[in-house]
Amino acid sequence: MKQVFEIARLTFADAVRNRIAYGIFVFLIIILTASIILASVTMGRTELMILDLGLGAISILGNLMAIIITIQSLQQERESRTLYVLITRLDSRWKYLLGKFFGFAAILGIQVLIMCGLLALAIFPFGEIYWLSFIQACIATILEVWIIIAIAMLFAQSSSLFLAVLFTLATDITGRFTSVIHQFGEQSNSTLLHWVTEAMFYALPNLEAVNLRNGAGYIESYATNHFLAVVSYTTIETVFLITICAWIFSRKNLS
Amino acid sequence: MKSLLQVKGLSFTLPTGHVVQGRKTILDNISFDIPKGSATAYLGPNGAGKTSTFRILCGLAKSDSGQIYFDGKRILGGLPPKQFGFMPEQPYFYKNLTPNELLTGLGRLSGLNGSSLTKSILEWSEKLHFTKILNQRLATCSKGQVQRVGLAQALIHQPDFILLDEPLSGLDPLGRECVSEVIQSEIKRGATMLFSSHILADAENMCENVIVLKEGTILFSGNMKTLIAAENNWSIRTVWQDESLPVFETTETSRNVDGTIRIKGSSEKVRDDVITHILASSGATLVSVEPERRTLEQAFVNLLKGENQ
Repeated sequence: MKQVFEIARLTFADAVRNRIAYGIFVFLIIILTASIILASVTMGRTELMILDLGLGAISILGNLMAIIITIQSLQQERESRTLYVLITRLDSRWKYLLGKFFGFAAILGIQVLIMCGLLALAIFPFGEIYWLSFIQACIATILEVWIIIAIAMLFAQSSSLFLAVLFTLATDITGRFTSVIHQFGEQSNSTLLHWVTEAMFYALPNLEAVNLRNGAGYIESYATNHFLAVVSYTTIETVFLITICAWIFSRKNLS
Repeated sequence: MKSLLQVKGLSFTLPTGHVVQGRKTILDNISFDIPKGSATAYLGPNGAGKTSTFRILCGLAKSDSGQIYFDGKRILGGLPPKQFGFMPEQPYFYKNLTPNELLTGLGRLSGLNGSSLTKSILEWSEKLHFTKILNQRLATCSKGQVQRVGLAQALIHQPDFILLDEPLSGLDPLGRECVSEVIQSEIKRGATMLFSSHILADAENMCENVIVLKEGTILFSGNMKTLIAAENNWSIRTVWQDESLPVFETTETSRNVDGTIRIKGSSEKVRDDVITHILASSGATLVSVEPERRTLEQAFVNLLKGENQ
């Protein structure tokens, strides 16, 4: 595990200085502008509007940063041949991928946390919300970003920078509509369509299932069982994706 | 001398297309031995298969067939990490990190820690002359400086076997001299080295053995001196009064700036014939007869052109 930690540390040190990581400042501008505008145009419950806008922005920015930082870092590591000097020092290739994942997960987890903290500070002057559900939504957003990192790592293994970004974005978007796709297949008369949508439902990560942003601040808290199910699902999905990724990577000719 | 690395019947192909898969042969059943404590130059034109061999040895790519033995033991997934150091061709590493941060991370991955690691980084930065840039972002370092950092990372854990892919490219003459000194001191320490280079003069100075590769097959594997001295070249300088120069078979004739004629060849019999001819001619004066030592570069070019076969 020492080697995994060291890869994660190097990944973190490099990613923290990546300009894309400063997307936090974009968020800060969005949230400050929104607060000023909403405070002047809304009648009551401004805090909930800022909350909805803020959580949506955190999710979009978090996912975008996860996609860009992960794919860009992996591609650059391969092009700069840093990958070679890392791999030749490791006992097994999977340690590299696990280390990379932990490094990305740490930097992006911290960024989402900072954004959530900034959002809380922006909400605070306007009124009270249910903070527990807000915290649960923030944790779920971090877990969602971690799934996106795993998806991005998977595509970065087998395609170019552009295609990897495109495929990850496509999976991210369709992953939010898996239930709709499933329903569509069930209602269809075509057996082929039914099987295709069924396959998509099970193959794609169900990102809507881990979305706790809709009730955040409005309800006191999500039920413990519901919250634990979200945590379990994201953990299993992430482990599954990283395992596939490691399996592909360990068989790949790096030439 | 006992072999540290033995490569037997190594073959490697790469797919040539995406839809219709053909395969291009990169390495075709190559075998060679690297003696313990020696420096071996791994030479060949672009596309000969040098980098592919290195990648297979490092475990970055899998060969189609063949075996690799390291210190008598067969290895399957690349050389043992703690026993070898690898420097890829033109590395440029993490642009956002400093050489100090990079070497600390890579040193830790190789099992170094604490004060011994710090001491080792300082030592290598002094030996390779990059102490001044130790805490400067790699993005702001020159190509030559990054190249030195690349060499330091391969040597920091004092490996038994060092694999260097074009370690001298991108370096100025002073940088090349510095790197050459470091490589020679590593050989003195007892390390074994295999390195590829297109700068053949440096390879000639540093290595006692040479392997020449062309289109995935080995043209020559053995002692450097044997390759260079494969032919006894000679050069004769003469003053010739007549306008028309005699033509001697298998020789090369040229006129020098000072007006003398230089006749070059390799056959001893032809050399004796030329000397006899000059001495017998009334209008000719023999100025000098010199043995001409080939350089590795000449031997390499001749070998590739098939003149030695």
